[in-house]
Amino acid sequence: MTLLAVDNLCVGYRTRKGFIEAVEGVSFVLKRGRSLGFVGESGSGKTTVGMALMRLLPDNASIRQGSIIFEGQELLAMPAAQLRQIRWKKIAMIFQAAMNALNPIHRVNDQIAEAILTHDPLATKASAMQQVEDLFSLVDLPADRMRDYPHQYSGGMKQRAVIAMALACHPALIIADEPTTALDVIVQDQILSAVKKVQKQMNISLIFISHDIAVVADVCDDIGVMYAGQLVEYGRRDEVFEAPVHPYTKALLASYLTLDGAAAQPMPFTGATPNLIDPPPGCRFCDRCPLSDAACSLDVPEYAEITPTHKALCFHCK
Amino acid sequence: MVTNKSMQLFNGSGRLYKRYPMIGRFLENWSVFNESLIGRIGLVLLAVFALMALFSFFTPMIDPMYHPMTGVDPQISNSTGPSWRHWLGTDFIGRDILCQLLAGARIAFMVGISAAFMSIVLGTIIGMIAGYAGHIVDTLLMRLADMIMVMPTLLVVLILSSLFGQLNIWTIVLLIALFRWPGVSRVIRAQTLSLKQRPFIEAAKVTGVSHFRIIFRHIMPNVLPLSLLYMTFRVTSAIIIEAALAFLGFGDPGTVSWGMMLQWVWKTGHMFQAPYWLLPPGICISLLTLSFYMLGRAMEEVIDPRLREEGEIE
Amino acid sequence: MEIRRFILKRLIEICIIFFVILTVLFLLFHLSPGDPVTKMVDPTMTPEDAEHLIDQLGLNQPLWLQYIYYLKNFFSGNFGTSFHYGEPVFAVILNRLPNTIVLFTTAIILSAFVGIFFGKIASWHKGKQTDTWITLGALICHTIFLPWLALLMIWVFAFKVGWFPLNGMISPEVWTNPSAGLWHKLLDVIHHMILPLATLFCIHFGSYLLIMRSSMLDTLKEDYILTARAKGLDEKVIRNRHAAPNAALPVVTSVGLSLAFSINGGALTETVFSWPGIGRELVFAVSNNDYPLAMASFLLIAIVVLLANLVVDVLYAYLDPRIRY
Repeated sequence: MTLLAVDNLCVGYRTRKGFIEAVEGVSFVLKRGRSLGFVGESGSGKTTVGMALMRLLPDNASIRQGSIIFEGQELLAMPAAQLRQIRWKKIAMIFQAAMNALNPIHRVNDQIAEAILTHDPLATKASAMQQVEDLFSLVDLPADRMRDYPHQYSGGMKQRAVIAMALACHPALIIADEPTTALDVIVQDQILSAVKKVQKQMNISLIFISHDIAVVADVCDDIGVMYAGQLVEYGRRDEVFEAPVHPYTKALLASYLTLDGAAAQPMPFTGATPNLIDPPPGCRFCDRCPLSDAACSLDVPEYAEITPTHKALCFHCK
Repeated sequence: MVTNKSMQLFNGSGRLYKRYPMIGRFLENWSVFNESLIGRIGLVLLAVFALMALFSFFTPMIDPMYHPMTGVDPQISNSTGPSWRHWLGTDFIGRDILCQLLAGARIAFMVGISAAFMSIVLGTIIGMIAGYAGHIVDTLLMRLADMIMVMPTLLVVLILSSLFGQLNIWTIVLLIALFRWPGVSRVIRAQTLSLKQRPFIEAAKVTGVSHFRIIFRHIMPNVLPLSLLYMTFRVTSAIIIEAALAFLGFGDPGTVSWGMMLQWVWKTGHMFQAPYWLLPPGICISLLTLSFYMLGRAMEEVIDPRLREEGEIE
Repeated sequence: MEIRRFILKRLIEICIIFFVILTVLFLLFHLSPGDPVTKMVDPTMTPEDAEHLIDQLGLNQPLWLQYIYYLKNFFSGNFGTSFHYGEPVFAVILNRLPNTIVLFTTAIILSAFVGIFFGKIASWHKGKQTDTWITLGALICHTIFLPWLALLMIWVFAFKVGWFPLNGMISPEVWTNPSAGLWHKLLDVIHHMILPLATLFCIHFGSYLLIMRSSMLDTLKEDYILTARAKGLDEKVIRNRHAAPNAALPVVTSVGLSLAFSINGGALTETVFSWPGIGRELVFAVSNNDYPLAMASFLLIAIVVLLANLVVDVLYAYLDPRIRY
């Protein structure tokens, strides 16, 4: 059962230096209850995709084409008032910088209750507070810290509070954007298991955005690899991990050390990420690609279907 | 248009830029500055006032009666409205108001820039020392700054003039400078603290460079743009304080400032009869203040890239 | 941190600062040219009275003892006798203090609220006409020369249209009229207060608005505003409940930092409108070489500024939980 279908999404930013084509032709499908992870380096457009799904892009951004169909409705054509009904009730978000995602001058429980009271017309203040207490126990936060202010929380507690807030309205989809990046490894691990637990328990679909391929591998069923604004490889976790076809994915996996040291054969990158203001006409990876030839830098690559669930954006992957 | 040209010069052939990196940097900053309407208006206004100040040197040469302080029209002994002889009219003893206005511009620039310059030098040095030295030196200097910051400068100068008698214009400038450095030194201190953490300062320390040299060779070039920015704001406050002092009748009796002109129109009871005399000095003080403020705001955008519109994506 | 400990700490700091001011003023008084006796003792006094005053102030004692006398006299509220009024200085300035406080605090509070409100509106409509006009108005208010604005106010609203009295705080005919009730008298004071209040309001309103606007623009870029948007909150709720309270904090700070500057303006306003406050008394005393009155007014103003700073600090701590807890 399809929850979300994104087709040929293109997003750009107007800046002082020119128009940045930050996301180019991204398409994917997400089924209910499944989890999808986006990996890529910073500036690869993965955060932009997440923000576009909620139509929360900054003012200088524009969605040039594409469609985002969520539960059968086109999000990109939706008026603002209707969109507000979808936000958090249907699609919630766990933000990249959880440290600052909570408003410093409001109590944590008030901030979570605010989401409930906004979207549930039947909720009263008391019932909302009761729900907040339940959410706190769900993410293993002590209920007696509910009335604290965010600055009284540790980093891990703030992140848990943000997760609790994301769950407040039982959304169908949660977009988690680097939810563990600023945390130390142990807390990171606890947060990840909390995310996995509630996701399975409440049957929520998850889009997980991270630069850390290990984290994505741990959480997600499907994986999309982003490079320079494009989805260069997309498939089931096993397909992408066991049989990567795109040279960028291969390099990415090689640079990630496993405990047994099996894959410890890092491939050095030469060259830089392309300038997205005036991207090269051909494959965006060809400058750094060990397989590239003359055709790569001239022709526009198309997705090659390796299996029905596995595709890659490369001339050399068949 | 100018923007594009200077950007081309900066990016394009690059020869000029390579040989003189300062010029390249200047052109880049200038193009940012030039894009802000506020900055351009401020600059134009300032240029007008500078011209006024310049003209004030020439008016007494045309006719002695156009001397702002001592020149009296022999045919007029009271305040008259605008005429061909006196474009803005005359004051209560027949002196030309336009000439006084021009002379006032000169005094305002002199007071504003010299007081601001002194307070900036003081504030920058104290801020750098406090930030660099840390510990007890920092605490003492910053407590001193706090203490001076809560003192109303105008009233302090007033009480000093009651104790020490009539102040001349340079004493006033000096006093303003002495009481207006704390704000600057706080900002410079904060900047120095963050610079101190940077590797190049660490490296200089490890290689045994003297503290004096570190402060003046390595830290100072990095805080100077900020000092310069604060200078534009200090100019404003110095001009206002001098004008207010003169308005209250404690200015230097040997100079004609805009504040003093207002004091004359007020104290001689002409404010209801002589709008041609009441309006110009007030407009000038306010506009000059405005132009320095606008200049400062535009410079802020150059110095703090965070404020530039539409930044990059992460 | 406990709010009580916070206040206590600030109070101790204020005491130290005030003590330093007291001492510096004493030193300046003795460093300045001229005889301290002629500065403190009214030449028109009878010799016996003068002798008594000199004894009381310790002016015939060595310097260090004079300092002790000075401190003792200060803390017992004995500042000497005003030349002009022939009354104890303490009585004179205590009489003026409420007038200053009423005018000054009303102006600051009013301008802070209005400035914050319009700053919020301007930043919300950033780059549109509303923003341009509000900001332009604030810029003019912020940079206009205060005494000149005061003169213009008098010229236009008191002289030309005659809506308000030219100066002063009360009309004698109302206050000497035995049949006038309290309400009537109060209205009379308010009628006198409107122009000086409007002047002080204008000057502060502009700067608070500009600060609020830029602070609000910064706040709107914060992550928690994005969270609020993602939560599907109404734009008005985001603006008023999430952005504005955070953005207003720097305005409160700036009210505190600019208090010294504001009191300059207060003195100028009082002088132009002949509002019987301490600021005007100080200007007046300095013009007439009334040293005891000048010094005492200055010290009182210093106390007022320091205490007002404390009030602002406490208010800030109350508004920002990060300081309170």
